[in-house]
Formats: sequence, C-alpha cells, structure tokens
Amino acid sequence: MDLHLDAEDLNSCVQCGLCLPACPTFRVTGDESMSPRGRIQLMREVQDGDAPLTDEVLRSFETCVQCRACEPACPSSVPYGHLMERTRETLADGGHITPGWQRVAFKPLAHPQLLQIGSAALSVAQRAGLVPKRLGLSAEIPFRQEPLTASGTDVYLFTGCVMDAWQREVHAAGQRVLEAAGFGVTPTAELAPCCGALQAHAGLADDTRGLAATMMANLAPDRPILVDSAGCGAAMKDYGHLLGTAEAEAFSARVFDIQEWLADHLDKLPQARPLDLRVAVQDPCHLRHVQRVHGATRAVLAPFVRELVELDDDGMCCGAGGAYSVLEPELAGAIRDRKLGAIDRATPDLVASANPGCSMHLGAADVETAHPMELVDRALRQV
Amino acid sequence: MAGTAWSDRLRNLTGRRAGTTPVADPLVADLQQALSADRVHDSGVHRALMKKDASVFTGGVSGPLCYPETTEEVQAIMRIAERHDRAVVPRGAGTGLAGGAIPLGAPIVIAATRMNRIVDVDLDDRVAWVEPGVVNLDLTRHLQPLGFHFAPDPSSQQVCTIGGNVANNSGGPHCLAYGVTNAHVVALEVVLPSGEALMLGGLDAEPLGYDLRGAFVGSEGTLGFTTKVAVTITPNAPAVRTLLLSFDTIRDAANTVGAIIADGIVPAALEVMDQRITEAVENYVGAGYPTDAGAVLLAEVDGLADGIAIDADRIGEIGRAHGAIDVRQAATEEERALLWKGRKTAFGAIAQIAPDYYLHDTVVPRAKLADVLDEVYAIAERHDVLVMNVFHAGDGNLHPLLVFDARIEGKLDAVHAAGSEILAASVAAGGVLSGEHGIGVEKQAYMDQMFTDDDMDHQGRLRRAFDPVCRANPGKVLPMGHSCADIAALRSVPSEVWG
Ligand SMILES: Cc1cc2nc3c(=O)[nH]c(=O)nc-3n(C[C@H](O)[C@H](O)[C@H](O)COP(=O)(O)OP(=O)(O)OC[C@H]3O[C@@H](n4cnc5c(N)ncnc54)[C@H](O)[C@@H]3O)c2cc1C
Ligand code: SF4
Ligand code: SF4
Repeated sequence: MDLHLDAEDLNSCVQCGLCLPACPTFRVTGDESMSPRGRIQLMREVQDGDAPLTDEVLRSFETCVQCRACEPACPSSVPYGHLMERTRETLADGGHITPGWQRVAFKPLAHPQLLQIGSAALSVAQRAGLVPKRLGLSAEIPFRQEPLTASGTDVYLFTGCVMDAWQREVHAAGQRVLEAAGFGVTPTAELAPCCGALQAHAGLADDTRGLAATMMANLAPDRPILVDSAGCGAAMKDYGHLLGTAEAEAFSARVFDIQEWLADHLDKLPQARPLDLRVAVQDPCHLRHVQRVHGATRAVLAPFVRELVELDDDGMCCGAGGAYSVLEPELAGAIRDRKLGAIDRATPDLVASANPGCSMHLGAADVETAHPMELVDRALRQV
Repeated sequence: MAGTAWSDRLRNLTGRRAGTTPVADPLVADLQQALSADRVHDSGVHRALMKKDASVFTGGVSGPLCYPETTEEVQAIMRIAERHDRAVVPRGAGTGLAGGAIPLGAPIVIAATRMNRIVDVDLDDRVAWVEPGVVNLDLTRHLQPLGFHFAPDPSSQQVCTIGGNVANNSGGPHCLAYGVTNAHVVALEVVLPSGEALMLGGLDAEPLGYDLRGAFVGSEGTLGFTTKVAVTITPNAPAVRTLLLSFDTIRDAANTVGAIIADGIVPAALEVMDQRITEAVENYVGAGYPTDAGAVLLAEVDGLADGIAIDADRIGEIGRAHGAIDVRQAATEEERALLWKGRKTAFGAIAQIAPDYYLHDTVVPRAKLADVLDEVYAIAERHDVLVMNVFHAGDGNLHPLLVFDARIEGKLDAVHAAGSEILAASVAAGGVLSGEHGIGVEKQAYMDQMFTDDDMDHQGRLRRAFDPVCRANPGKVLPMGHSCADIAALRSVPSEVWG
C-alpha cells in the first residue's frame, strides 16, 4: 500500500539503531516493533514490500508517542516526524486508524465556546469525582476564568484551545512577564482558536491545514507570534512544511517559543530576588527534540530561582504525548515511571515544564509542576 | 530493578490485539506456555523486524521471537527448541555489522532486551554483575557517580548490549590502552543448547582448568546464550586531554600514529577519519572538525595531570614533524564530548551520502597502515565505489566503509568485489579479517583467506563440544562445510511469512 512517503526520506535510514535508546516506547518494552528503527522498517514493508496492514502493524504505528526524540539521536537526519505524520494521515484517510469517536473528540478544540462549555461540564464532573484518574487530569479544571486583555501590539501571545480553557493562568503569567520586559501583548484568543497539533498527530492533517489557514488569515502580518505551549509552537513552526506555501513559510518564521523569545531579550527583563527553590527542568519533547530551543528555558529561568537541576534521562519523554496518555494509558504510565525515577534522583522542590500536557500527566502522579513563565512571574511579583 | 517492576504492568501491551489470531503452531504454544503469551511473538511483523541487523545482509528469515526475563526461561526455550528440533539465535540490540544476529532458516530468536538489570556492583572487587541486555552506556552511566566505568566503548555504546559485546568481543576507541571486551569479562553464566546452565570463569584471578570463558567470548552466539556477565569495572582517570590534529593527507595521519606508538606513548585512543567522513560527521554534530583537511587524528591521553600534559605536548610535536597542519586541544569537557560524539556517530552519519554501507573491519600492522590505505582507495576507484575510512588507528584496525545505493543495479556486486580485494590486501600485509565486528555471515566466505581447512576443523570441534548439533546460531562464523554436517534444525522459509 502506498503510504505516500518520500522514497528518499524512507531510504535515509541505515538501520544503525543509534536512535533506539532515545525512544520511550522501546525503552519500556525492549520490543523492536516499538522502536523508531522498527517503525521505519514497517513503513518500508508496507510501502515497498506491500505487506498487509495487520493489527500488529497498526499497533506499532499507533503506539509511537510522536515525541521525535529519535530525530536528534539520528546521525543521518532521518525526518521521522514527517514520516510518521504522513503515515498516519494516509491510514486515517483510509479509515484504518483514528476511529470516528476520536475525530468527534477533536472537533471542539477548534471551537472555543464549545470547549468552554465542555470544560465547565468536566470541571463539575471532576469536582463530583466522576472523572476517571486515568484521564490524567490532575489540577482542577477551572469552572470560569478571567479573560485576558490586550496591552499592545508588539507581539501576539498564542492562547490556543485546551490550554486556554484549563490553564489560562499560565498565559496570564506569560503576558505579565512579557509586559515587564516592555512588550505590548495581544492575546490571540478567538483569532487563533487552535493550532491543530493533536489533529496532525492523529493523521487528520486536513483539519490542521484548515486551522492553519484560519490563523494565518486572522493574524496581522509581520508581528512575532509567541507560544507558551511547546506542542503548539512546534506545530505552528511546521506550517511551512504542512502547507508548502511561501506564505506559510513566512508565518512559521514568525513563531517563537516564549522562552526562546525572552532568551533573546534577557537584558530587558527586570532583576528580581530569585525564588528560594531547587527547580528541575523537564523539557517537553517538542521543545527539545523538535524546536530544539530548550537551552532558552534554562537561560530565562536561571536568574529567577535559587538552583536549576537537570534530569539525568537525556530529555526522555514523560509519556504525555498530547492525547497519548488517554489513548495508551498503560504505556504512558510505564514511560512516566521512568521520568518519576529521574525526578526522584534530582531531588527538586518543583519541576518546571513548558507544556500543559506534560504538567497534567506529571501532576496526575503527584509531581508538583509549574510553567517556567509562572516561576519568572512569581519572582518578578514576589508573591 | 526496573525490569521486574514493569513486567507485570507491561503485560499485553505489545500484543494486545494479537489475541484474536489463534496460535496454530505447537512450537509457539509451548514457548508461550513456558514464558507468557505476550513475550512470545510469531506475527509477520515481529518476524519481519528480526530479519536484519545493522549489516547489509538481507537473507534473514525469522521464526518465533521470545523475550525471556530469567535464566530459567532461557533454559526452557532451549529445551523446547531441542524438542521441536529448531535452531535458536541470540539477539541483543541488533547493531552487529557482520550479520551475527540475523536468523537463517526460521530459528527461534531469543532477544536479551528484557534481561536488562544491573544485578550487583562490587566496588571492593571491582566487578559488576549484569544481565546480557544491559546497554553498554547505561552501565557506564550507572558507574560514573561511583568513580568507575566499563572500559570497552564501541561507537555504538549508547545502544549495543553487554551480551552482544561479549559475543563479538567488541572493541572501541578506548580499547587501545584498556583492551577489548575479553579483557574485562571475568565470568559468564551461559545456557547451552541442551538447556544446561553453566558458570564459566570466576572471580578468582587464576581459575583452575581450561579457560572456557575465553572460548565463549567472541563466539558470536554459536555456543549458547549468555544470561549473566561479571565484568571488571575501571576507575575513571583523574585527568584527560583530547587533541585534534589535521593533516593534508591520510598518509601523514597514519604515519603520525605509528610514530606516536614508537615513541613509547600509550594513548587512551587514536582515531583517524578521512575527509569525506569528517564532512558528514561535522554536518551532524558541528563540533568544529575541519572539513578541508585530508584527514584528522583524534588522540586522547589519560592519567595523572602532569604526565599527560607532557604526553599531549609530545603528540603535538610528533604530529607537526609528520605534516600536521593544525593541532588543537579540547578546552572544555563539552568540546571533548562533542568531538567524541562526532567520531562515534560516524557510521550512522553516512546516510547523508548514500543509503547503504558495507563496512569492513580488518587489522593490519601499524607500519603498513599508510600503504594499505593507499591500496584501499585504489581498489575502490577501480570498482567505481565510494570508500571512506574511519578507524581505530592505534590498533591498526581499519574500517573501510564502502558507501553505495543498493537500488543501482550491479552496485552490490561491485561492493562485494572491492571488499574481497580489500580483505586480500589486508591479509597479504600480514593482517587479519576482523578486528572487532565478528565474522557472522558477512565475512564467512573469507575465512579461507585466513585459516587452513585444518584450523577450521579444530574450531568446528570446539564448537560441537558446546553444541553438538549446531543448534545455536547455525550458519554463522564457520563456513558450512566446517561447522556442522547436518543442520537439520534449519528450516525452509515458512509459507506464510506475514502470518
Ligand atoms: C554505528 C555503529 C558503530 C559501531 N561501532 C563499533 C565499534 O566501535 N566497535 C565494535 O566492536 N563494534 C562496533 N559496532 C558493531 C556492534 O555494535 C557490536 O558488535 C556490538 O557489540 C553488538 O551488540 P548488539 O547488542 O547490538 O548485538 P547483536 O547485533 O544483537 O548481536 C551480535 C552477536 O551477538 C550474539 N549475541 C547477542 N546477545 C547474545 C547473548 N546474550 N548470548 C549469546 N550471544 C549473543 C548474536 O547472536 C550475534 O551473533 C558498531 C555498530 C554500529 C551500528
Ligand atoms: S532512524 Fe537514524 S538512528 Fe535510527 S536506525 Fe535509522 S539511521 Fe539509525
Ligand atoms: S517519535 Fe518518540 S515514540 Fe515515536 S519512534 Fe521516535 S522516539 Fe519512539
């Protein structure tokens, strides 16, 4: 079956295996079919060898967290992320993966009002103890939140879907930090309802293309777009590739992770007494392996906390993976156990994580997390 | 620790939907009974993924795949294999470059990846007991905070297993001063094809009797399955210096290597890369390797700070006397780590140039290095294939890397022809066939360039002492005629490979 994968991309893997230790699913299972090398080989078997799409083949593809840790580990620069996204797109188009209920579940993401109503309902259910723990919702979902208001037009702050509904206080903190550095901020709110990352991971790339087009049409040109969720930032930086137009390329070039942006403007941030905390940095995969700007988190955070410590797991995934922790709870849990071990060894007071999914997934295992922007904001306000 | 805690939770993860296909094969049923249903796979997917390792060899056909977690389970697998008259193939991380882990004739593949516990570290005796699936670098990382490391450091150390290292007697850049795997293994627990478990070697300095441990190290899975390894752990050196020397020609680099050793210095590592490979590597790591130099020499000395400062200066002098155009010392640990990352990912980086590679692994006397290298380039040119050289120069261990696109008709034949001539040239210069990657299936046909029939006959007898019917990894190392006359255990291709 033609998976529509570029033959050269597929052939660029020499099967050396150097990516295996970076892969969370291989690490917890030891199973080649759960490794990047194995998954690439299966793409070849399906596309070039006409191997049938058995349950095991689909299982191998579906269990990939799409953390993309295998990419920086690969000396031959195999574009694994794109190979897997394209594979899923073909399989979803053919109805092989991403069943209808999942497609329905992704719909509200693009509709802020629906999401707010759903979240309010979830919030009530959570308080009533009706939400299963395996959904990984740790923090209480807010019932109603204060809206963010624009303070200027220097930069956009992308607010997105789930995060805006559930963790708006992170956006608020980010906005205050940007303002402290002298930037006037426009929250994107309904101008850019959703980045489409989860849809793209599920193989619903057309939905993502639609959301990208909306966003590009709604946002003023030439203004930097800052993103405080690593997964969203990575997706938006990939619009150029996804849409294949010069306009999309130009849009993607304007997208920055908020830490990345601030690390380039450190001199503008006011000084403050560091928080008396030992903070471990947990790099979201899409910040470290895809955007590769995780150095910025450290640069921005260091002046504002007593001590920064690294985890000793080379930035291995925590198992959150967007919707992964809900779709593959057992694997996600096993992967998280490794992360919990690394956190234990680092003995931090708190874990800094720049992605809402990671925070929730770790939070569900009783790890205290905060977004780096919340910590900087706290130091600046000393509250 | 990790292994046991997760094993229960991981049940059913890998084969959740597989339960829908009824198990017809009695062999598979027996294996599942002995292990558990989720740790024995017979689907087309799992078998397809076992048919290759990191070599170019493509003729593999796998039978059922097992993930044992204990020595007892490995024993049970061996007994079942015997009962069903089926061969077995041990497998680690599948990074072998000679096809050692490739299954021939649908054998049972026994994967070590779930036997990955570091069982015990004894700092007084300087010994660590590990299971065979422990990743080489994971062991070193575990030991680092204690002030120790595991000395053999193959370039694949981030992924290859200790069991694989033992089976291939693997080396690495730092084996120049410290010795290859064999020098670091004191005892082995093994399961023979009969199902019997044995302890070979021991912690005593001079164990009594024949050194059967030594026979097992380097046996490439043809004597049985290693289930536990006692390795010596090496104290970290108090100080390290890493130098990068650039040359106009690879001849100059090779001659410098000979001169350094002749001068009486024993560096921890001496690695040479030619221009093409340096370019590919620099593309990936950005370590500051000069891409315009004809060749680079990475030299490392370790020991007491004062002594190695003198050695480092002396290496620089010798290099300059032999034509070095630049000598640079890594100023920081980050710079040093990046230089090594470049060297260690060299084989992986070549896909930037072409999708396939065939790697040779000959050893030649150091004095002949420059001449043999000249010949290697000439042979490759004659056959119109691209060759790159990246090698453990201090040991005279050449790694001519033939890079090609197998989809181009006739290329693979040209590569084999060139390879054969390169091996002949190395052996003619007084060298050997394999430094560290093993013979596997790839180098088997060349065994007669090295050994007489009589030599091979004796090796075959040693093998049969452990494995009378050649059930363990048949078709490897010894050419067919010399190993087992009757490999009944080899099956023909199963009718439905994608079952
Ligand atoms: C990028 C790259 C760089 C490399 N660099 C080096 C290098 O610098 N030096 C070097 O020496 N090699 C190198 N290699 C080759 C390879 O990594 C080594 O041979 C390694 O030791 C193989 O380990 P593995 O776990 O991958 O074993 P596998 O490839 O899975 O198996 C190798 C052999 O060991 C046997 N085996 C595995 N486990 C067991 C067991 N438990 N009991 C009995 N037999 C077993 C198998 O049957 C097979 O014959 C490199 C390979 C790559 C891809
Ligand atoms: S993806 Fe890259 S690192 Fe992994 S096996 Fe392929 S070439 Fe090697
Ligand atoms: S994206 Fe992550 S989970 Fe998927 S193969 Fe790569 S490393 Fe493994």
